[in-house]
Amino acid sequence: MNILIIVLVVAGLFLFFATTVGILRFPDFYSRMHAAGKGDTLSSLLMLGGLVLYELHEFNLATILVGAKIMLIAVFIFMASPTATHAITDAGFESGVKPWQKEKPGEEG
Amino acid sequence: MIWQIDLSVLTLVVLCAFATIMVKDLLSAAIIFGAYSFLMCLLWTEMGAVDVAFTEASVGAGVSTILFIAITFQTSRTVKKRKKGRYAAKILGLLAAVIMGLVLLAAEAHFPGFGDPGSPASLHLSPYYITHTLADTAVPNAVTSVLADYRGFDTMFETAVIFTAGLAVIAILRRVKQADRCELPEPVTISEGYEDTIIRFVSRQLVPFMQLFALYVVAHGHHSPGGGFQGGVILGASFILLAISYDLNLVTSRMSEKTNIMLGNIGVLIYAGIGVIALLLGANFLDYSILHKILPATGPVMARSHGMLGIEIGVAIAVMAIVIAIYLNLSSHGKLDKGL
Amino acid sequence: MEAIVAEYNYWIYILLMMIGLYAMLAKNNLIKKVIGMSIFQTAIILFYVSISAKREATIPIIAHGHGHDTAHAVVEAAQYANPLPHVLMLTAIVVSVGTLGVALAICLAIHRRYNTLEEDEIQEQLQ
Repeated sequence: MNILIIVLVVAGLFLFFATTVGILRFPDFYSRMHAAGKGDTLSSLLMLGGLVLYELHEFNLATILVGAKIMLIAVFIFMASPTATHAITDAGFESGVKPWQKEKPGEEG
Repeated sequence: MIWQIDLSVLTLVVLCAFATIMVKDLLSAAIIFGAYSFLMCLLWTEMGAVDVAFTEASVGAGVSTILFIAITFQTSRTVKKRKKGRYAAKILGLLAAVIMGLVLLAAEAHFPGFGDPGSPASLHLSPYYITHTLADTAVPNAVTSVLADYRGFDTMFETAVIFTAGLAVIAILRRVKQADRCELPEPVTISEGYEDTIIRFVSRQLVPFMQLFALYVVAHGHHSPGGGFQGGVILGASFILLAISYDLNLVTSRMSEKTNIMLGNIGVLIYAGIGVIALLLGANFLDYSILHKILPATGPVMARSHGMLGIEIGVAIAVMAIVIAIYLNLSSHGKLDKGL
Repeated sequence: MEAIVAEYNYWIYILLMMIGLYAMLAKNNLIKKVIGMSIFQTAIILFYVSISAKREATIPIIAHGHGHDTAHAVVEAAQYANPLPHVLMLTAIVVSVGTLGVALAICLAIHRRYNTLEEDEIQEQLQ
């Protein structure tokens, strides 16, 4: 049980780190939003899952209630975070942000 | 109190504060300010102040960011460069800040130790509140019992201050008659009445659950972090979400300005009214234990708990109405016809 | 290490307050001044909350608060964080959002009248 919790939380942490690296290193607005949206949501869900398992170490009514509340937060994040990503990306598209094109050799910058 | 989290979050908070005031783009400054608020909220949770962190999360990282963004859309988006040669304000400001900082540093040597249970702030009155809150009021949350019962006068005047702030915003901005309007500059908007199915659907689904959660926060404030303010702000934020994802007219058709001001009034009236009822029954103002004479099947201790719930409801209604009023007036330049 | 952390905490609060103060005095744009005011307010709240923190103490919600025999349980004041500064700061946060709303409304009214939000241009137009 403890191993599972550690695996979930460390996986969530690693995904957060990868998301941050992606936001900094991707060349273009749309690919950065891709990294931010997917990475943020998934890593939050993994870490919350780890927290629910940690809560359920003692199995009585109070901890089940706390675990249910954490699952509700996870459902909310699952609904709201991709919508927010969609909103930002749509706003970028409507403002006319152009996708990144790979520069062909021989073209002027 | 884990010192590693303390150190790292404090460093991040200072970096965010620097970034907020240095950036040239006001929209970025508003968003970095939201991040700064959220980091403060983490810091306060780690120090054990969960009620304060909850309020800051809903108010600072939520509503304040929206108000800043609303203002940025109505005025200019970037900071213009200062005209040449006006460096006096900067140097004087820096000098004043440095001198003040040195004075505070000199006083800092005499501050009580961090986390010391024997510091003067924790010695004289607060142990009474902690040890007697269950016996006196049957409310486990010491912050709620101090806020609503032991220091009820403060909270009543604070609700009145919130109501006054809403009235001030309405008085400054609201323009009803055509002759009052001077030449308004064109607000900077990206697209007019942009419809998006996904955002509208998700926010339509989320709003009832947000309001349910806000009511849960108000009602459960006795046993968990929460209470009237947090619930009221979340209720107001649900309306702001509707106004952002749909149109401003949707919110004004559901909550007209008259209803808004009436709700703000009713909130303060509930609070003061419970106090007056206590006065009429023969006890002091806001002494809830006398309410056991009119509430069925409660003793004086449980009557205090029920009285606290009553005033928390009043506070929630008032705060919700005022948050909606401030947002509506700020985002539509006082005209209440077309928002963000 | 604990001593350094304790001192570091207080220095950071003073630094944050001075950042807010500098932004209020020296920045040209009115919105930046309002942001500085908010930074100052949250730094003050951080200072008060840090006074109320106690080592090895938990949040100020009395445990075992449910049930009917709780009035006879012994409650130790040193186990719980000090709730009194929390209450004061709750009031401070809510009042600060009210102040923020009014400050932004005044900024909007100034922009409507002078068509700019920069302090030096407003002072030029006032003369």
